[in-house]
Amino acid sequence: MKDYIVIHPQNVFSPESIAPQFDCIDQYDLANTDLTLYKCMIVLGFVDQDFLLEEKAMIDSFLEEGKIVCFFGNLVTPWLQGQAMFQPKEIRWHGDYNVQIASDHFLFDGVLEDDMTTNKGVKGFFARGHHEAPANAEVLLTLPGGETITYIDRESTNGTIFMHAGSCFFQLGLGMQLEQNKTTDVIPQRMLQWVDEEWARLQGGANNA
Amino acid sequence: MRKIAVLYSGSSHHHRTYKTSEFAQYIHTRIPARQFATTDLSEFDVLLIPSQSHTGILSQNIEKIYDFANSGKIVVTFGPPHTEWLPEHNWEFRPTNFWWWLEPGADSGLRLPGADHDLFTNYLTLDDATWHQHGVFWPSEGCETLVSTEDGGAVLYIDRVNTGGIWVNTTLDPDYHYGSYFMPATERFLRGFLPWLQRGVI
Repeated sequence: MKDYIVIHPQNVFSPESIAPQFDCIDQYDLANTDLTLYKCMIVLGFVDQDFLLEEKAMIDSFLEEGKIVCFFGNLVTPWLQGQAMFQPKEIRWHGDYNVQIASDHFLFDGVLEDDMTTNKGVKGFFARGHHEAPANAEVLLTLPGGETITYIDRESTNGTIFMHAGSCFFQLGLGMQLEQNKTTDVIPQRMLQWVDEEWARLQGGANNA
Repeated sequence: MRKIAVLYSGSSHHHRTYKTSEFAQYIHTRIPARQFATTDLSEFDVLLIPSQSHTGILSQNIEKIYDFANSGKIVVTFGPPHTEWLPEHNWEFRPTNFWWWLEPGADSGLRLPGADHDLFTNYLTLDDATWHQHGVFWPSEGCETLVSTEDGGAVLYIDRVNTGGIWVNTTLDPDYHYGSYFMPATERFLRGFLPWLQRGVI
């Protein structure tokens, strides 16, 4: 069993050279891919969501087998079981973009909310809207109105769905310089740890419907 | 009115810009990227290649896009290009300064040699085309540069000379930013650019 399969949209802004620990396919090769090999599917934000909707049965089966799907982006078609469509945030002032940690979780332990909120003093890069989390989801991050921008859903399927309405938390690209000397630098490594722990939990069969 | 077709990648960005927003009214047909190779383009007047399109599909269909242009039609490309595929364009990558506007007395570095062109007399201002660029073109002689950097690199230009049709190429990526709910100028750009594409003087 391998760990990761990345569903890659093959656009200019998505990482070109993927680190070897991640198997990576062109999104349009999904139907020809043996997903039984993988524990965790990473779906990047530029994917063709009309196409994924056509292939929904494959993703449903992956989750039905008790696996993990992580989506980073704005959901605009219902290809991911039980997830609401993206809702943009109505911005009245820049504080509306402030990221808030909603619950204790090791992913964000020691990470400053301000480091997630601002980039060179400018807000709005982290998330510009949200997906309404399903009931009983573990909500990790919100915007000031309680909008759920990052959460873990263990109830909509037999597997686990990690949703973040923004950029990818994994460091996929070879040679990418994501470190900014900010507290957020720890997130990519912790995502790997989270997948390991979540996989172990799923294998244990605890808590899932 | 020109019939505009767009190479549609189904991303959330393209979904908003070309399918669900006020700008969808300017798009006659969204051609799913997967079906582009087998789609008959003959009924369209304009083919719009958005930013952040699937690079493999684009590369496989370069000849088809040139054939479309050579039939006397209009090709529009938003930036940045994934490879050097545009006619005689001489792309120069430049690191993007996302932060120029934070500096005191900031100058975007953009100039408007095309101030008298229909696009800028009736549809857009330079401010509407000002956020950042990912590089510049140095198009061949005979091309008409409408927006440039201060050193003369082309940010938006029209090429009527290198094929049998017209190319409107820009390093700007308004559809990506608007589709990301990011950069208000990109909304103003599309509000002028797409009506011009549909009925303006090109």
